[in-house]
Amino acid sequence: MPRYAALIYGTEPTPEDMSDSGKWDKIMQEYFNFGEAAAGVIGGGEALQPVSTATTIQVMGGAKGGDVVTTDGPFAETKETLGGFYLLDCKDLDEAISWAAQIPGAWHGKVEVRPVIDFSGAS
Amino acid sequence: MARQGRGASGHRLQRGELIDSLDEIIRIEGGQVLATLIRLTGDMDIAEDALHDAVVVAADVWRRDGTPDKPGAWLTTVARNKALDRLRREAKRHPKEAEAFRLLTEPADSGDASGDNRDDRLRLLFTCCHPALSPESQVALSLRVICGLTTIDIARVFLVPEATIGQRISRAKAKIAKAHIPYRVPEPHELPDRLRPVLATVYAVFTAGHHAPVGELDARVDLADEGIRFMRALDPGLRSGRYARATRYRSCRIAA
Repeated sequence: MPRYAALIYGTEPTPEDMSDSGKWDKIMQEYFNFGEAAAGVIGGGEALQPVSTATTIQVMGGAKGGDVVTTDGPFAETKETLGGFYLLDCKDLDEAISWAAQIPGAWHGKVEVRPVIDFSGAS
Repeated sequence: MARQGRGASGHRLQRGELIDSLDEIIRIEGGQVLATLIRLTGDMDIAEDALHDAVVVAADVWRRDGTPDKPGAWLTTVARNKALDRLRREAKRHPKEAEAFRLLTEPADSGDASGDNRDDRLRLLFTCCHPALSPESQVALSLRVICGLTTIDIARVFLVPEATIGQRISRAKAKIAKAHIPYRVPEPHELPDRLRPVLATVYAVFTAGHHAPVGELDARVDLADEGIRFMRALDPGLRSGRYARATRYRSCRIAA
């Protein structure tokens, strides 16, 4: 069965958003509801801490063992950032899309749906 | 099924006539045969290769035995067997081909043949016009796979390089395969959204048919025909105002 990554992109909540507990709780409830409804297809997933907690590294020289350059922040500064992901086991893209459309991130931001590579050779 | 060495008009076909006749038959029947093969194999590339192989056999056998009464059914049978051979060879190595092989060797259902055929073409049309493909890809893929136009023809109509069209079509096919875009006619509740890109593609095909360079009269008429044929493939209850305008427009152009 094909597996899809549903990558959740959106603008990060501001400190004001975070202190508005009503709004935040509502979003959490939406995610909880999704988790329940989609339990049969969710193969994994995580919510990520904000991009302010991110560190990007690059190994120079094009080969293993070169100098490690460490930078504060995500790999690219973008308005919308990756906030989390789900792995969805669905029979085809239409099914994956219909589940992804129920992820709260899809109406608060955008969700990218991309198939996972199957190394066993079945696709 | 085959008459002995005689064409539809009863006289023995010369080689030149056979080639013209074969081209014409493929133009008329090819889309349906391909749609059926895609349903049977679940793979556009395998289906196209199988059809190509069947045409090669037809060029040989029909010259000897004459054109069959039902060329479409003949091509479908031969192509299906070609696909079967290929999948049998590959089934040992790839689970996906093994699944396709299993589907192909299941006994044919006794459903209404013409209903299945119409469903196959509709299924293919909705797949080529899936919203996960870009509008340019939808049109190029539909023209290639459903209308059977070559990439050169398509490039000429849209005034872009042939390589661009080639890449666009390859990428669209790859996306259908890798993202598992399904071959199915959408459910009634999905139709309003899914119909929109189909109508847009049909309209683009039809409009391109009318705006092709003056020297390309054949391509113009063919595309306009295809636009109308697409619309006829859709349920008459779903006909849009554009279709009505398009058919009236075309009738006027033909009369002029």
